[in-house]
Amino acid sequence: MAGTSTVLEDSSLLSRLDRALLPIERVMALLSGLAAFSLMFLAAYSVSAREFFEKPLLGYVDYIEALMPLIAIMGVSYVQRSGTHIRMDIIVGAMRGRVLWFVELVMVLLILVLMIALVWGAWAHFDRSFDCARPLCSRDSSIDISMPLWPSKLLVPIAFVVLCARLVLQAVGYARALWLNLDRPVAVPLIQSVAAQARAEADALEGAD
Amino acid sequence: MDPITIGLWTTGGMLCLVFLGMRVAFAAGLAGFVGLVWLRWNGFDYAPERFGKAVEISVKIAGQVPHSKVSAHALSLIPTFILIGYLAYYAKLTTALFDAAKKWIAWVPGGLAVSTVFSTAGFAAVSGASVATAAVFARIAIPEMLKIGYNKQFAAGVVAAGGTLASLIPPSAILVIYAIIVEQDVGKLLLAGFIPGAFSAFVYAVLIIGIAVIFKNVGPPVGGFTWRERLVALPPALPIVAVVVIIIFFVYNPFGDAWGTPTEGGAVGAFIVFLMALYRGMRLSELKDALIETAKLTVMIFTIIWGVLIYVRFLGFADLPGAFSDWITSLTVSPMLILICILLAYAVLGMFMDAIGMLLLTLPVVYPAVMALNGGEFVSAEDSAFGMSGPMCAIWFGILVVKMAEFCLITPPIGLNCFVVAGVRDDLSVQDVFKGVTPFFIADAITIALLVAFPAIVLWLPSLA
Amino acid sequence: TFALEAAATEWNVSVWGKRRAFTEHVEKLAELVSEKTNGEFTMNISYGGLSKNRENLDGISIGAFEMAQFCAGYHRDKNRVITVLELPFLGVENLEQEVAVASAVYQHPAAIEEMEQWNAKLLMTSPMPQYNIVGTGEPKTKLSDFEGMRVRATGGLGKAFESVGGVPTSVTATEAYQAMESGVVDTVAFAQHAHLSFGTINQADWWTANLNPGTVNCPVVVNIDAYDSLSDDHRAALESSIPEALDHYLANYAELLERWDSVLEEKGVQKVEIAPDVIEEFRAAAADPARDAWIADMEAQGIPGQELYDLVVKTLADAKGGS
Ligand code: NA
Ligand code: NA
Repeated sequence: MAGTSTVLEDSSLLSRLDRALLPIERVMALLSGLAAFSLMFLAAYSVSAREFFEKPLLGYVDYIEALMPLIAIMGVSYVQRSGTHIRMDIIVGAMRGRVLWFVELVMVLLILVLMIALVWGAWAHFDRSFDCARPLCSRDSSIDISMPLWPSKLLVPIAFVVLCARLVLQAVGYARALWLNLDRPVAVPLIQSVAAQARAEADALEGAD
Repeated sequence: MDPITIGLWTTGGMLCLVFLGMRVAFAAGLAGFVGLVWLRWNGFDYAPERFGKAVEISVKIAGQVPHSKVSAHALSLIPTFILIGYLAYYAKLTTALFDAAKKWIAWVPGGLAVSTVFSTAGFAAVSGASVATAAVFARIAIPEMLKIGYNKQFAAGVVAAGGTLASLIPPSAILVIYAIIVEQDVGKLLLAGFIPGAFSAFVYAVLIIGIAVIFKNVGPPVGGFTWRERLVALPPALPIVAVVVIIIFFVYNPFGDAWGTPTEGGAVGAFIVFLMALYRGMRLSELKDALIETAKLTVMIFTIIWGVLIYVRFLGFADLPGAFSDWITSLTVSPMLILICILLAYAVLGMFMDAIGMLLLTLPVVYPAVMALNGGEFVSAEDSAFGMSGPMCAIWFGILVVKMAEFCLITPPIGLNCFVVAGVRDDLSVQDVFKGVTPFFIADAITIALLVAFPAIVLWLPSLA
Repeated sequence: TFALEAAATEWNVSVWGKRRAFTEHVEKLAELVSEKTNGEFTMNISYGGLSKNRENLDGISIGAFEMAQFCAGYHRDKNRVITVLELPFLGVENLEQEVAVASAVYQHPAAIEEMEQWNAKLLMTSPMPQYNIVGTGEPKTKLSDFEGMRVRATGGLGKAFESVGGVPTSVTATEAYQAMESGVVDTVAFAQHAHLSFGTINQADWWTANLNPGTVNCPVVVNIDAYDSLSDDHRAALESSIPEALDHYLANYAELLERWDSVLEEKGVQKVEIAPDVIEEFRAAAADPARDAWIADMEAQGIPGQELYDLVVKTLADAKGGS
């Protein structure tokens, strides 16, 4: 499931850029978490307003639907940085050295192609809903309370641009490892054995006990 | 070229990328995007000057999907269910549960193992994720079992198997995902998971007691708790009961009107566990960690969701699912045999793949085929192949595949729960855990066979609601 | 065979849900067009496979598919002009009148211009009967009964109930049944076919036969580029099939409405007739302010709101006079 990988650091420019991007990604992930947290209060408020005060929250569904992209997409780059997006590493896990870096590089470049396309497409999706000649710049609105949809749609290309930046850094990292035939390159998530990965995951929970 | 052929090539390419190790979400998204371009350019007869237009249209179709698909009210259950699990951990509900289970039921043969199974089942009622459950109980339950002389492989197997219960017993992220993909009522599916989940726990318990009776040295009973001790152990575990009652009553209230929608129920349940965690002294830094961890898991799941849905959008234009279900229904083999073959295919695929990835990648094609086998979405129970109406078949198949996915968490070579348990304990190798989990493997096979043979176990509760 | 292939036109059509009364004109249109062109011009109708229903207009604008259906109330800011047809208490009595007023508005330059921004051309409406409400408990027969009523009604209709003290409560159509069962809402406003397909009729104790508070407007549109690139024969086949497709829709819906009374009886749902003076009171409280606000809002955005409203009123009067 959620794999946790290690990212090594040193004083190279690449590693510094990696660490410069990380706080941005972390804040975006925290925003995702906070938005998930706020769902809880929104529902508790909505239920009690309805049951105890006979005054349901108008636009409840609209608010949640506007929040969902924040919850679901903002942290996408943070997850890529830590290598948490799931994959089957039974084959890639058996690779070593230049073969491994080559395969990783090709896969990161393919993902980059997809994400550049999606930045363009997600921006176009936002752009269709945005027209500042109109009230609130709104050219698309929600079903119940006619709330403008463009702010929620804008979150997606923003999150994807950050992911593209992360992918460029990882591509450079893998290319460097391939070129210099490095053993443990910086700025890319390194595969751990499945067991070590499980250990790291368990440790993450342990810290809280 | 005909769209079905393009669909097959693209799907094959995607599977290659997935097996090669590309992150599942992006492999699916890329396959979908490339497929859309190919299909469109094919429609333009591969005219070179229209390639740009084909790309532009495809980019815009694919670029809609992430926002469009994640902004659905019902999907808000997933982050809520994940958050509940983390908060429950900080509310120290896990230790409280195990303690209570031990004091009440450890007197039976194999007592501590049975207590472990029931407390993992209890924790499953607040946790949406199986792996987390296994990790937590590996730390709490295994040392206690070893202390009184349990076989260590067996103790590890109990925890690895018990952990799987979290995906079936609501709240369950994976059931919500199934409901969204196949567009069925989330509430009824969650309700449907309850009895098969409890049933699985029951089968595990019977198995453990049987083993303990036959092999005297496997797991001695633990007695000597006073009634006072037992009663004192109960209150700390009570919030779990509150959460279970709330989620169930928001979906289905046996005594009258349900209290609301499942999404509201999940959120109110999380709120109660949050209050409990505050009461138990959760610090701000811990809350921040819980939120980051929730975000990581949520975003990971949603990335697969939108990635796969880009691929599904392409499938919609290529109409591959339609062609596949036409093919399946044209076979002259009995529908039940085909269903069993599909489940076996999941067992094989699940040996190598993550459960969520596996379901998301296959359901868009397999689900319509299974529904067609039964006689279509609107078929009545009398006219159907499996003796149940369309919506009931959707629920039944959902529970079956989720149970298959759980089964895959303990099967070699990639049984994730076994790795997690071995990872937590220095003294256990992965082979040890796989050895210890083998009996549960058989128990799961029996459970699945019973769920196939007696659909009423799954369908009784949702048919009331 | 090359010449034959070159002449072939295949359109993707995006609708949603399941095949039902609401999509019968699209199904019929596809059938007629194919018949008239000897199978050269075909339409693949996809129920939800190509787009989310609220993004069908986006799909048309992208060129993802050639034809689609959507409802104005899903996204008022995308289609401000035709929301005039969703104003409460316009006084439309039957589907024939609904078709007449919708066609008039669809031909208005403001509507054509706004749809052109989406690269869309309005082809025909999907006439919906009035969104009468089903409810649980005691029937609501007086205006004061609407006070605090939790009603599932969207858009202009929701606003109308709000103006007499009701509380519009957002649940999606698919959640409506459960929301009613759980008491999240106590009334639901739908057309008859939706009360049947979403099961709200099974929860209901009563149905208002003559409240007629308004309806939603759901056009079928085509991508302008695709329309323009049709051969003359194919375009003629398409255009000439529209009236036939609508006739089929009306006949099919009429059958459903005929069954409606027996459905009510079978489910034990009471048919409530609201007194004319109560309806008049409701209309005064809901319709007039909503209309004035709508016109002012549109005029402020440079859309001829008054003209559009007058067009609806006049067309409706003509349709009533004619029938
Ligand atoms: Na669970
Ligand atoms: Na496995």
